[in-house]
Amino acid sequence: MTTPVLEVTGLYRYFGGLPAVRDVTMRVPAGERRLLLGPNGAGKTTFFNLIAGDFPPSQGAIRIFGQDVTRKSANERTHLGMARTYQIITLFPKNTLLHNVIISLVGLRDTRFNPWSDLRRQAALWDEARATLALVGLGHLADRTVAETSYGEQRRLEIAMALAQKPKLLLLDEPLAGLSADERQDVQRLLQSIPRDVTIVMIEHDMDVALAFADVITVMQHGQVVVEGSRADVVADPKTREVYLGH
Amino acid sequence: MRAPASNILLWLIALAALLALPWVVTSEYYVNIASQIVIAAILALSLNLLIGFGGMISLGHAVYLGVAAYLSIYLTAHAGFGHLAGALIAIGATTMLAMLFGYLALRASGLGFLMITLALGQILWGVAYRWASLTGGDNGLGGLKRPHPFGLNLMDPTIFYYFVLFFLGIALWCIARFIQSGLGQSLQGTRDQPRRMRALGYNVWLIQWLSFVCAGFWGAVAGLLYAYYHQFVSPQTLHLTTSAETLLMVIAGGTGTLLGPVVGAALVIILKNVVSAYITRWLILLGVIFVAIVLFMPEGLVPGIMRGVRALRRRLRGDKMTDAPSIAKERAP
Repeated sequence: MTTPVLEVTGLYRYFGGLPAVRDVTMRVPAGERRLLLGPNGAGKTTFFNLIAGDFPPSQGAIRIFGQDVTRKSANERTHLGMARTYQIITLFPKNTLLHNVIISLVGLRDTRFNPWSDLRRQAALWDEARATLALVGLGHLADRTVAETSYGEQRRLEIAMALAQKPKLLLLDEPLAGLSADERQDVQRLLQSIPRDVTIVMIEHDMDVALAFADVITVMQHGQVVVEGSRADVVADPKTREVYLGH
Repeated sequence: MRAPASNILLWLIALAALLALPWVVTSEYYVNIASQIVIAAILALSLNLLIGFGGMISLGHAVYLGVAAYLSIYLTAHAGFGHLAGALIAIGATTMLAMLFGYLALRASGLGFLMITLALGQILWGVAYRWASLTGGDNGLGGLKRPHPFGLNLMDPTIFYYFVLFFLGIALWCIARFIQSGLGQSLQGTRDQPRRMRALGYNVWLIQWLSFVCAGFWGAVAGLLYAYYHQFVSPQTLHLTTSAETLLMVIAGGTGTLLGPVVGAALVIILKNVVSAYITRWLILLGVIFVAIVLFMPEGLVPGIMRGVRALRRRLRGDKMTDAPSIAKERAP
């Protein structure tokens, strides 16, 4: 049996006395497209934050590429080959799109600690950043500041920053949230173009888009996994209806 | 990321003015004031690394000025060390102190960081004040003679001015290089989006600590020059008021800019030394000026003036676009 890219065992996270994530166990093999579904407050983003290392779990273990990362910091996990996007856009608004991608690229290089290397003179870095922006269809906006771009373009930039790091595990937190129909199609096409050697775990509320994208779906409620399986299994399961419709 | 032509022009004007100053201002008194401004500017630039580029507001930065000054005077005038050895040890030891203080202060952020830097600064002020057998206590420590590097007579105010100006030039060049470097850009990223930076693979704490140490190093350089200038140091040098004054220089000139702290240093030192000769309650004037800057140029003098110049140019061209400081794409020098 091959080592799963992401393996979560008995994960708990309490905020005060409130359990935000309760006994979540999950195994995501290489290349899988995993979708996390659930109503607001189900604990999906908290679960993402635990995987990404934003805060430690109260109990349980997280393994990425077979390595126990439960107590590792967020930046150490990124260096193992994990990247993420945020539900609430988290960019550098005064900087250009190109600069945002440069910051993403430098994050995995030793240059980030160098007080002497002038980033402006590293042509290869800039070329790579431009190529990444072109990949997500933002090449023509490279020199604009983030503040001057639309919400949809900022969503794509979030994905570009994650892809720039050539991750093997990509966590996408509602990449389609707040987008127009056209923008959704653009981002959907972009997600489908990501090669299969990248494992994707995605939170999304748009059922049509999400179901078309996912191989396996995990439905969460009150911090727990209530249903898990293939698209057909999850759609047919009465618990899914109960979670979403309350009956 | 190339600097706009207007910025380069501004730098050339500033450089020409600084070089020509002793020829224009012939009075020794004013040349000495200019030397004080240059030394204060190096200290303000180092604090700006923390505040402007790192978003870390420190109220204990005078520690590095004071400790380096105490050490250089003690080692050279009282412990028998030569000038070069005294200077190197003073800067080295002060930088090591910054390593320790950075380690302690960066256990917190925001207000917590500010309070720790304030507390550490006041502890050292207390040590300088109370450990009279070593520091001279309230009487301070003196007896230092200015060195003669490469045969230069630093007792001559004009030569001393060019000597400190040389160090300001090096500081500006190194800091300009730093802010465009991988570490400098990382630092600015941690200021704006620390959570995102962690997710991108940056060790935010380490980046802030390295920058804190860099700031401590340049603070130490300013302290060494301070000791050479005054040939005397007292607990007041590392007191909270000196830290607050330096903070004022950075905020008034413009945080996150290179020229801002230099302009801020000039403003505060001129008010403190020149205006105070004519107006007894010069601190009230300083307060009024500071309030005016905050009201009319909240981003500081240099970015504010640059914004004004750009707005004027647009008006002359008949362009009606406004220039909001908060989303300005073009950076002030």
